[in-house]
Formats: sequence, C-alpha cells, structure tokens
Amino acid sequence: MENDRLNDVLYNVAESVLERLAFIFSVPAENRDEIPVDSTDASCVSFSGPFNGSVVLAVAGNALSEIAENMLGLPEGEGLSLDQQHDALKELVNVICGNLLPEIAGKQAVFNFDMPQMTTEKTPSCNENNETKKSLAKLDLERGRCDVILFANDYIHQYLSSLPAESE
Amino acid sequence: MSINVLVVDDSSVMRTMIIKTIQMSGLPVGRILQASNGREGLEQLNQNWIDLVIADINMPVMNGEDMIDQMREKTETKDIPILVISTEGSKTRIERLKNKVKGFIRKPFTPEIIRDTIIEILGVNDHGE
Ligand SMILES: [Mg+2]
Repeated sequence: MENDRLNDVLYNVAESVLERLAFIFSVPAENRDEIPVDSTDASCVSFSGPFNGSVVLAVAGNALSEIAENMLGLPEGEGLSLDQQHDALKELVNVICGNLLPEIAGKQAVFNFDMPQMTTEKTPSCNENNETKKSLAKLDLERGRCDVILFANDYIHQYLSSLPAESE
Repeated sequence: MSINVLVVDDSSVMRTMIIKTIQMSGLPVGRILQASNGREGLEQLNQNWIDLVIADINMPVMNGEDMIDQMREKTETKDIPILVISTEGSKTRIERLKNKVKGFIRKPFTPEIIRDTIIEILGVNDHGE
C-alpha cells in the first residue's frame, strides 16, 4: 500500500518535472531492466529531515545529451561539454527531489538538501548510512532511458504511517 | 528605461534557462549579470547597478538566504527587489522567505510565471527607484 503510493508519486513527479523543466515526454517502462547506476552517468542529491535519504537519477542511451539540450532549448547534437551535461543532470535531480519530498511527506515537512552531485564525485557519497531503495521509476525518453530512485532510511515508514490518511 | 538583472544560481544550465526566459519576455531588460553563489552575487552587487536580483536558495559557498540577509543589511542593496526561484517546497520555509523577498517561484517554472512575477515586482517598485 505504502510502496504503491510511493511508486505512483515518484513516477508522477519524475514525469512531470521532465516535461516542465526539460520539455521531454517520458513513458513509464516498468518491465525493462534497471539502469546499472555504477556504470553510467548518474546524479544524486541527499536530504535530511523527518527521514533521511537521497534521490538518484541515472541515464542511459543518449538521454544525457537529450536532457541537457532540451533544457537549454538547443537542437540535437549541439555538442555541449560534459560539464554542461552533468550540470543539467544535477539540476534535474535537484528539482525532482525538491518536488518529490513535499508530495511524499506533506508541505509541512522541512528537509535540508545537500548540493546535487554526480555519483562518481563521491564527496560525500549519496545513499550511505542505512539507506535502502524505497522506490524506483523507470522511464523511456526519446533518445534514451532514465531511472529515478528514492533511497531512504527506515524512518520513512514511521513518518508516512504517522501522516493523516489524506495528506496535502 | 531598461532594467539590469542579476541571476544567482549554482547551475549554469538553470541560469541560462532563466536568462533566455527574461530575454524572450518582452521586458525592457538591460544588462544581465550572473553569479554562481551568494558570495559572487554580493560581489556583483558591489560592482554594478542592479535593479532586480533573481536568486536560487540551495547553493554552495554562500546560500541564497544568507546572501539576501546580507543584502538587507547594507544601505546600497537593502531596497533592491529580489525574486527567489527555488526548489524549496516546505510551507514554513516558503513563508519565511516570502517575508524577505518580493516574489517566490518554485522550480520548474513556466516563462509566463517569470514574466508576470517580474512585472508585478517592478510595478510595485517602479524600476527599483
Ligand atoms: Mg541550486
């Protein structure tokens, strides 16, 4: 029940932010394999608050350039630097995380966010400290794929069960 | 009369998106300056005439809220209108921020909301004069 709700919210927020920030229409792809985070471009942002965790955004295929070019309104194959493409991916995960937490935890909840980073930067690393995968959204884009993963510690369960049934 | 805008955000992609949006808004924009954190923002404010500051909150080195607090402490910068564009979603934090600035927009934004908010802000302030 709780997991279903988390999954629905994650898909909704990820699809909506991709559309509104990057003008990309994505299609849920629940049946395909997960993108291996360790061997691909992935950005992440850690947060702390009523529960702690992080959101990871992993991309495969040509999704990295698709996202960066779309955010900047540039045509395909514009040859953006890797730095610019990573900047776009970091800002995208930042906005996804900022929109996700109030949807999950309610608008009264206060969270602190770390700076978004690429998972390869590891300074400090996302999803350390007993945080486990709580939800995953797999989306297909036009030129590639992206996965959005929510990691959190187990306080999330306590916190969510303490919320009134119809939270904002 | 054209307005000089300072855009403070740690994401260069986000700064470019905001700048494109203001350039296409039809507003009488003069110079557009950029900074990637609050400290750089304050330096730009020291060196340039700015009519409107557009600021992110979550930034390294100095965050947006600290920059805003320091702006409010200096005679030269305390009356410059500020528009915050941030991912912040907590009601309490948004209310606190709204007390310090002229406008608050949550990311992601539409071009229309940015244009309308800037018009509203500068209308109230008559071009920062
Ligand atoms: Mg930021």
